[in-house]
Amino acid sequence: MHQRILGVLVAVFAALLLLAPGVAAAQTPALDPAIAAAAKAQQKQQVEQPLNNKPVWDEVRSGVPLVTTVSGRETNVLIQPEGQTWRALRNSWFSVVAGWALVVLVLIIAAYYLINGTRQLAGKPTGRKVRRFSAWQRSIHWATAITFVILAITGLIILFGKNILLPLIGYTLFSWLSILSKNLHNFVGPLFILCTVLLFFTFVRDNIWRKHDFAWIGSFGGLFSGKDAPSGKFNGGEKLWFWGGVLICGVIVAASGLILDFPNFNQTRSTMQVANLVHITIATLFMLAGLGHIYMGTIGMAGAADAMRTGYVDETWAKEHHEYWYNDIKAGKIPGALDAPAGPAGKLEQKPA
Amino acid sequence: MARMKFLCDAERCIECNGCVTACKQENEVPWGVNRRRVVTMNEGVPGQRAISVACMHCSDAPCMAVCPVDCFYHTDEGLVLHDKDMCIGCGYCFYACPFGAPQFPQEGAFGVRGKMDKCTFCAGGPEPDFSEAEFKQYGRNRLAEGKLPACAEMCSTKALLGGDGDMIADIYRDRVLRRGKGAEVWGWATAYKVPPGKGTPPPAAAGGSKS
Repeated sequence: MHQRILGVLVAVFAALLLLAPGVAAAQTPALDPAIAAAAKAQQKQQVEQPLNNKPVWDEVRSGVPLVTTVSGRETNVLIQPEGQTWRALRNSWFSVVAGWALVVLVLIIAAYYLINGTRQLAGKPTGRKVRRFSAWQRSIHWATAITFVILAITGLIILFGKNILLPLIGYTLFSWLSILSKNLHNFVGPLFILCTVLLFFTFVRDNIWRKHDFAWIGSFGGLFSGKDAPSGKFNGGEKLWFWGGVLICGVIVAASGLILDFPNFNQTRSTMQVANLVHITIATLFMLAGLGHIYMGTIGMAGAADAMRTGYVDETWAKEHHEYWYNDIKAGKIPGALDAPAGPAGKLEQKPA
Repeated sequence: MARMKFLCDAERCIECNGCVTACKQENEVPWGVNRRRVVTMNEGVPGQRAISVACMHCSDAPCMAVCPVDCFYHTDEGLVLHDKDMCIGCGYCFYACPFGAPQFPQEGAFGVRGKMDKCTFCAGGPEPDFSEAEFKQYGRNRLAEGKLPACAEMCSTKALLGGDGDMIADIYRDRVLRRGKGAEVWGWATAYKVPPGKGTPPPAAAGGSKS
């Protein structure tokens, strides 16, 4: 009998022993698994090696959010290791490659210009003008162009001024110039985005990619032959600039720029570091493409600047550079293209030149 | 010349935030700016430790390396100070700093950053010592008065040490030998280890103060 009771008691005790860990676990407050694991490691450490704080120091170095009573941006992060990575990348690779790419392209363009000079018309100008750009198209083009150039120059001052301008003009003047540059860059930036959006919708119809644009690209736009392959209102190069430059570079530069321009949304430092590197890279590509566009639109080709200044080009120019567009005009497919120049454009024509 | 450093003893820090208060009081820093903060690890679990952190006045300072206008300078005592008149408020030092030291008061519309503010080791700035302009822009210049930073002097458990790097290292070594634990010196590898061939480790820096 006694043995029987003893047996039951032992069984009950064994059952309790088995249950106990389960009860204890149920009483532990629900924790984030990572925190629970860290706490467990701590407890183990305290028992096995009471004088060794390794888990604490591992946690410190990992850059994880901890606890602080001081409010502010990421004040609970004791150490952020990404800052050093950003510094190393920005100060070495990104700025060096971007800077030399710009210098080399300027030298290439200068060499090309010295060898080939301005590309002139092959035929004689007829004196008859065709309308290429409306007043609105020219306005939005120049608004975008001016804001682009302001952003490019101020951006270059912020990135390279310390190495190039500062030794030349001294701390006081350079600091004043940099404050001006930073404020211009930050306030003209959003204006440039607005202009780009308007520019995109203004010119998108004439920039739809056609089959003959491949042929134009294939002939390198007459860069070496000196003769344009036939194209519509815009040639393959202009379309590449439109889609690759204005649209793709524009969107990426705008997005990364806005992240940096408005720090009041509590974006983290690592977000801004990445945005900064993306901004440097894409802005450099944008400027490289822009240099090509500016060269072809000014000293590279006779008559191109007049098109954007007055809105009109000579018939011969239209025929030689944009043959399909010229044919459409002749066929009467483009209303208003043959209207006589009025206002300043008309006057300009009478100028002895 | 002494090379000034901060050292926080995690075995002693009790997270009282006295250093934070002392700094704000002594330097009259603007709202929203905290030059020093206390961060707690493993809060509420075994192995809890706290560390008080501010600008560590690095030898190869990342803020100095990325500043577009080069407004930072090393003093003869190895402190990293900056000229607020030159600062353009771009925020790059904040991206680069491992310790989160640079602070920006928001000024004007769209959250435009004002001039960067950070711990000066209670050593003021480039303005003349004890001048009104120096106090307004950078806070108290206790070093010029022959005193150490307010945070370290105020520390009730003497967890936070600020002063000549060799001296505070000696004090710390003594403590470690006595208690037989807690030998880790937080942040020193990040702040004061200069990779070979990179930068000139102050106080050997020839130029010292720039302006």
